[in-house]
Amino acid sequence: MISKNALILIVVLVLVSPVFGVILADAVGYHEPLDVAAEELGLSDITDQLNWTPLLDYTVPGLPPEVGYIVAGFIGIAIILGLCLGISKLMSGK
Amino acid sequence: MHIPDGFLDPAIAASTYIVSIGFLAYAFYKAKKTLTPEKMSMLAVVAAGVFAAQMLNWPIPGGTSLHFVGGALAAILMGPWLGIASIFLVLLVQCLVFHDGGITALGANVLNMAIIDVFVGYLCYKAACKWGGGDLAKALGAFLGGWLGIALAGIACGFEIGFSTQFPFGWTVTVPIMGGWHLVLGIVEGIITSSVVLYIAKRAPELIAAERG
Repeated sequence: MISKNALILIVVLVLVSPVFGVILADAVGYHEPLDVAAEELGLSDITDQLNWTPLLDYTVPGLPPEVGYIVAGFIGIAIILGLCLGISKLMSGK
Repeated sequence: MHIPDGFLDPAIAASTYIVSIGFLAYAFYKAKKTLTPEKMSMLAVVAAGVFAAQMLNWPIPGGTSLHFVGGALAAILMGPWLGIASIFLVLLVQCLVFHDGGITALGANVLNMAIIDVFVGYLCYKAACKWGGGDLAKALGAFLGGWLGIALAGIACGFEIGFSTQFPFGWTVTVPIMGGWHLVLGIVEGIITSSVVLYIAKRAPELIAAERG
């Protein structure tokens, strides 16, 4: 019962996530304390130079950012659930 | 709070990897001994829920931004070892699939969010439940766990990036910034943690591992 409710909540969270993760973040300028601290020390983020994934920062190539964010969310959740299923099978096989 | 690539020097990156791998190995060893299909389902749901909740960034106009981290909540619901495992899964997927958090900083991010936040959250909740078993104690324990877990994880993050630069006194700048901001922003984490724990305590108290032993 709680799992079903939890899964519904997870789906809702992902569906509304672009409002907070893309639209408001762009409107206000997402700026974590870590960014403030890094600016003070002059540290540079080299994520772009070192990147290996087409899904960088929860974007999906060819999709608008808001839709890509939702698709990326479901991809992430599917991978997490898949990993948990894999671990379960590995452990029950022993 | 996800440290990207480029912020940590090799010594800090390597040492945080070593500490985190040690904790993860012990956490998986402890978790495996008591893992049941029900607990595995719980782990999957909590990890997926934390992943989804972390996608909701809360921008604060004119100030800074935050997102829910969830280490304290995972620990209260599943105990520290499964809590570590669940947040580690989230951080691993975020790093490898979305490059949210650097690969060189994965050890530090695991240490801050999957170990420090988890243990602080768990210990605060356990201490509050020992003090009194009522709803007020549970709410206070979960609030303190969420709040202090984030604050201490932020301070640890400040030390890691502060010690990593060519500036020998970088931590005197980064620790006050990270600690100060996360002491304030952590209040939101505390309120969310407390609300979810109280909701589950009323609906399905058997799901809260921190109350079982």
